[in-house]
Amino acid sequence: MDILVYGTINSVSLALMGLGFAMVYGISRVPNFAHGALYIICGFVTWTLFQKVGLPYVLSIFLALCVNGLLGMFMYRFILIRVRGMNISEIICSYAIGLAILEGLRWGGFRGMTNTLPVFMEGSFMLGGVPVDYHRLFMVIIGLLLLAGLWVFTHYTRLGLALQGMAQDEQAALMIGIDSDFMAMLAMGFGAILAGVAAILILPLGNIVVESGYNVLIMSIAVCIVGGLGSWMGAFFAAFIIGFAQILTVVFIGSHFQMVVALMAIILTLILKPSGLFGRQKELEERV
Amino acid sequence: MKRKTSSLVLTLLVSFFVLFWGSHVLAAEKPIIIGAPLSMAYLYGWSAERGMKLAVEEINAAGGVAVGKEKRPFQVEVIDTRDLEPGVPVSEALMAVERLILNKNADFIVGGPNRSEAALAAMALLSKNKKVSIVTSGVLSPAYHKTVEKEYDKYKYCFRIHGEAGNLIGEMIANFADLKEQYGFTKVFIIAQDVSHARGAAEIMGKVAAGKGFEVTGTEIFPTGASDFSMALIKAKETGSQIINIWMDMPESAILLKQWFDMKIPALPFGSTLAAAEQPGFWKGTGGKGEFTLCNVVNAGNAPSDATEWTMKFYDAYTKKWGIEPEGLGASSSYMAVYALKEAVEKAGTLDSDKIVTALEQLDMKGVYGKLKFDPKTHQVIPSTDPKEGAVGSILQWQDGKRVVVYPKSIAKGKILLPPWMVKK
Repeated sequence: MDILVYGTINSVSLALMGLGFAMVYGISRVPNFAHGALYIICGFVTWTLFQKVGLPYVLSIFLALCVNGLLGMFMYRFILIRVRGMNISEIICSYAIGLAILEGLRWGGFRGMTNTLPVFMEGSFMLGGVPVDYHRLFMVIIGLLLLAGLWVFTHYTRLGLALQGMAQDEQAALMIGIDSDFMAMLAMGFGAILAGVAAILILPLGNIVVESGYNVLIMSIAVCIVGGLGSWMGAFFAAFIIGFAQILTVVFIGSHFQMVVALMAIILTLILKPSGLFGRQKELEERV
Repeated sequence: MKRKTSSLVLTLLVSFFVLFWGSHVLAAEKPIIIGAPLSMAYLYGWSAERGMKLAVEEINAAGGVAVGKEKRPFQVEVIDTRDLEPGVPVSEALMAVERLILNKNADFIVGGPNRSEAALAAMALLSKNKKVSIVTSGVLSPAYHKTVEKEYDKYKYCFRIHGEAGNLIGEMIANFADLKEQYGFTKVFIIAQDVSHARGAAEIMGKVAAGKGFEVTGTEIFPTGASDFSMALIKAKETGSQIINIWMDMPESAILLKQWFDMKIPALPFGSTLAAAEQPGFWKGTGGKGEFTLCNVVNAGNAPSDATEWTMKFYDAYTKKWGIEPEGLGASSSYMAVYALKEAVEKAGTLDSDKIVTALEQLDMKGVYGKLKFDPKTHQVIPSTDPKEGAVGSILQWQDGKRVVVYPKSIAKGKILLPPWMVKK
């Protein structure tokens, strides 16, 4: 039971980390290597507004998510748009932005181990004999709702359908009047907001540390490669595979191999099925 | 009246010029450069820098260091080694040490590198350049002083002024014995970070605890950056463990302690180099969930106590200068390392490395955490539970929002308390 409970919690937390990365890539084909930095910056903006400025927590979260969304769109509109379509340049460029954000935060004095965000609900309860705190339960529920909401958004709203159209075939989308650059910019904004939502839900479990931005990026990449680049559902399933694999590794092999699991998953996927579980990219080439 | 005023003005002018000229002369003297390779994003880095700079400021304000017939000021040059960060290779720290020696012309190396692996690798570099180094923060591996002992002629330039993992284990075992006597605790579960000193300490702790009649119910080693500890905590609970011995300096240890609280694990968290819990901001950072956490801060002075008459003087001066209390390992030891260097330089009357080594080996001074003396064979500061005999450690427990020193008894300010879910009714 403990494996089931904490495997699910771990998986949802990985899914939350990777969802924004998968969305941006799925729509704009831009691998956003600043994803980890956007995650951390949302945590620090919320913390600053709540702890230093003294705004109510919910308002701080809302403003921080807005800042993140705008930052994502700004990154695309003024920087990434210039290298769009050039894969290596996109990676270098977005990674450089992420690096500048994270190192800038360090330089700006955001260091230490005691900066944290409050949990949404205090206390814990027993689930099948396993102690679980309410915040983790809340995180799982919000994670699942978010996924369902994204599915509804992309299937039943004009904007969502336009984004999906972009994800399926950018040139065809252009032909029916969808502004691809605008959509890619929106996707970056949504991706940044999703990174922020992950931060708001996960960071209260520990503390806000700049270095964890790199870890979030690695986990997001692992989830997206295993799930198939560009596939949101793939990312979700991959998060469950990696999440449970990590917990099983801790229980049956050894906790110090926990971090290796994600990296092994990347290597195995690239060897056995480079397009990932649900990825359409390169799938045809693989078949040929 | 007029005469009185003119003489007062004249006196003030003369004093001003004397002071100005004096300080100018002092400033004109070539400073003694203390190179500090520190991992600045982490507590053990910045607390060391703050401790060092406070000591340097005090010494310079008092006239500087007497090198033979001249008085020279100290100057600190810090380079960020980043060695405590996950994934940063040891070579980064070595480059920082090399830059301090070659580019910054450091006369001494004080502080780090903070990670044991990096500090051990830097020993050869220090030996090659004949640079006297005093490790003051983070390096806990017993391999450090054992290496000096093994190849004295090569590594005699390396000293360590704070406790090492062996001392820390001894201090914690003494507390375990008290807990056994008082509450009947016999089962220990060990959680460690996958880094040299923590792995080594966990292994030694397992053996020592077993030898002292404790049952070691399990050992879990987590990689740096791990962020979920639920399975290990469940194992600790299922095995009936009463003490969780934690060796972890990564920030994610705060997640572990919050999980421990949320899951109401009936085992007392007792850590060493538990950087997150050492800091005064830990209480606020965990929303009080860190209560009852025990933490070895390695030396007195890193938490409030009356170990010596110098302890609170240092504590208050640090708080005044930096606007925060001494935050943990590295603060008091780095402060004392500068004073130890001053003593050694003044005794040697020169900056010659071999003569400084001899002077440090003969050092015998009272400091913030007791009597400071280096073992002449290992260059490890001699530990004790009595500040009159040697360097005392400090174990604190978070009680009602305060860091209360509970060990050693000679300086304790309170007793170990148990969380309500562990108290038998």
